[in-house]
Amino acid sequence: MKILVLNCGSSSVKYQLIDMDNDLVLAKGLVSRIGMSGAVLSHKPHDRNEVKISGEMLDHIVAVEHVIAILLSPNHGVIKDKSEISAVGHRVVHGGEKFPDSVFITPEVMLELRNCIDLAPLHNPHNIRGINACQRILPGVPQVAVFDTAFHQKMPPVAYIYGIPYVLYKRYGIRRYGFHGTSHFYVSQRTSQLMNKSIKELKIITCHLGNGASMAAVDQGISVDTTMGFTPLEGLLMGTRSGDLDPAIILHIMAREELSLHEANTLLNKHSGIQGISGISSDMRDIIEESSKGNAGAKLAFDIYCYRIRKYIGAYAATMGGLDVLVFTAGVGENAPLVRKASCENLEFLGVKIDSQKNDQMIGKEGIISTDDSRVKVLVIPTNEELVIAQDTERIVEEQARPRETSRGL
Amino acid sequence: MAIKKVIVIGGGVMGRGISRLIAATGIEVILLDLNQKIVEQSMKLIGEEMNAEIEKWGLTKSEKKAILSRIKPTVDLNQACGCDMLIEAIPEDLKSKQELFRKIDKLCPKDAIMVTNTSTLSITEIASVTTHPEKVIGMHFLPPVTKIPLVEIVRGLKTSRETFELIKKFAGEQLNKTVVSVYEYPGYVTTRIIVPLLNEAMYVLMEGIASAEDIDTAMKLGYGFDIGPLALADMMGLDEVMSWMENLLAELSEHKYNPCPLLRKLVRAGHLGKKTGQGFFKYDQEGNKIGEAISFIKW
Repeated sequence: MKILVLNCGSSSVKYQLIDMDNDLVLAKGLVSRIGMSGAVLSHKPHDRNEVKISGEMLDHIVAVEHVIAILLSPNHGVIKDKSEISAVGHRVVHGGEKFPDSVFITPEVMLELRNCIDLAPLHNPHNIRGINACQRILPGVPQVAVFDTAFHQKMPPVAYIYGIPYVLYKRYGIRRYGFHGTSHFYVSQRTSQLMNKSIKELKIITCHLGNGASMAAVDQGISVDTTMGFTPLEGLLMGTRSGDLDPAIILHIMAREELSLHEANTLLNKHSGIQGISGISSDMRDIIEESSKGNAGAKLAFDIYCYRIRKYIGAYAATMGGLDVLVFTAGVGENAPLVRKASCENLEFLGVKIDSQKNDQMIGKEGIISTDDSRVKVLVIPTNEELVIAQDTERIVEEQARPRETSRGL
Repeated sequence: MAIKKVIVIGGGVMGRGISRLIAATGIEVILLDLNQKIVEQSMKLIGEEMNAEIEKWGLTKSEKKAILSRIKPTVDLNQACGCDMLIEAIPEDLKSKQELFRKIDKLCPKDAIMVTNTSTLSITEIASVTTHPEKVIGMHFLPPVTKIPLVEIVRGLKTSRETFELIKKFAGEQLNKTVVSVYEYPGYVTTRIIVPLLNEAMYVLMEGIASAEDIDTAMKLGYGFDIGPLALADMMGLDEVMSWMENLLAELSEHKYNPCPLLRKLVRAGHLGKKTGQGFFKYDQEGNKIGEAISFIKW
């Protein structure tokens, strides 16, 4: 069974075509800068060199069309016919309380997904566009949605209920949901393998630091708290998102600047974070470079970014009553030793000691970056959400084929 | 039927807003106006309007670029022949609208939908000059088009159910607007109700009862309007507001639609509101209020 995994982000489409019979990634790639000048499709077949195709790809539909075309192309492709794709697994950001597990996509499910748009305005519309594009380009191929929120659905109420009238939770489902669940799930499972210990014996803090960033407290394999909340806006400072702030601030700004709901929303989601503080870029690489040249705004953005991670490491060690492993993953977490170092500063009292040399060398690969005598192990684990999505997709498609009582989800 | 390409005719406030709104959903838009100079000016204004929104954090630079790349300016009406939908947003005059629909009727593919953005004219009358009146329908957007979440969908006497259902779905699902459906009758809901309110505010000003600022403040704070009636009239364009009043007066013969003399005077003087920098209030290039408003207060 060959499964196409699609991850449509706000300005990118990541994809992998995975042969589930031997867990082989036949091809993977990324369309980046969608909607910006010079969109690029980088495509890497497993047995040939990477190719890059640039051009204007103004939305996700065009991007998915390009992905399917290159998978079929005589020179760079890995399949001969569209029919070889047995199923498509989509990463979907917000599943609300409706979807505690991955789900087979039906028209009813699509309707529920649209209802979740309000909850993740920056992501769900792109995920839905990806699904629509596949339904058009690959008619009849089963599709499965795998949710970022699902892994956090076992959080206890103390972690997910906010300090506002309880009736609002009942009425509108306002609670902490948490995101990047697939990634937090993967790296915590992988941690257990690398530590050679049962997940039941481990207290782990996972730091998923990409353009969007979140942390999770994973106790005995269960996410017991996470930094993102009702939407992916809460918690850590991100590329363009504010993370935690006093909710009264936004009411104040809306009144002072006469902002509409939409404007307030984009202010917090697209104009804030390290971009908003530095005024330079939403990309941590640019921030680090400018900071090293002495740019004060870039340095401030960097410091706030790492400070907040450190603050949450302390908080989560306290909520779990201990800490065995700290894990960094995703773009920034895997590739920015400076961020890891600054985030772990002054945490010796907690048993966290970073080995500078190991840390500097661990770029984009899996390994340990703490000293041998560090009580808490610090790991870098490149995330693999695609593998989790493909495995879930295979499971759901097989369940769908079996009698009804075994099917899960909706 | 999927809408893939739309031609918007008229690059004024409404035409520009509609073009942006549609282009933002990924659909290709052709924006047509009378000559090269006007259409280029419209494109420039679209860019400036989006810059103002970026300043207010409502939009990002990359979104602006993507939207602009989907709007193609033209002066050639023949471009309509490849479009699935035509949206007319030219000045509020029955003769010129009918003239346009007569031409378009010959150019557009048979199943193309012909939409008018009129606020007071009769859809049935506009449709009467075409060979496919069942394909003609009204979509009444309100300015600023990209921000106001409402659209009135107006059925003419001969508009078909298919056309209505398609436009309703397009407006709701693709353009993400809340749809109110209204039947052919002058002024529909929004224009018919707001026009007497604006007119009354102008009388209150002219009679020296309160200053323009105070009239607007009273209605904003007193009744929860986002914008006061005089500033609203300035934003809509005073010539537009007056033409709605005259159309409603002609159709309904009701005195309450008779334009306030002050409005007639301002329009004659070319003080048309925000777009000319002067109406009831004065405005700078960016459309921010500056200086003193018109005053009739005697003491």
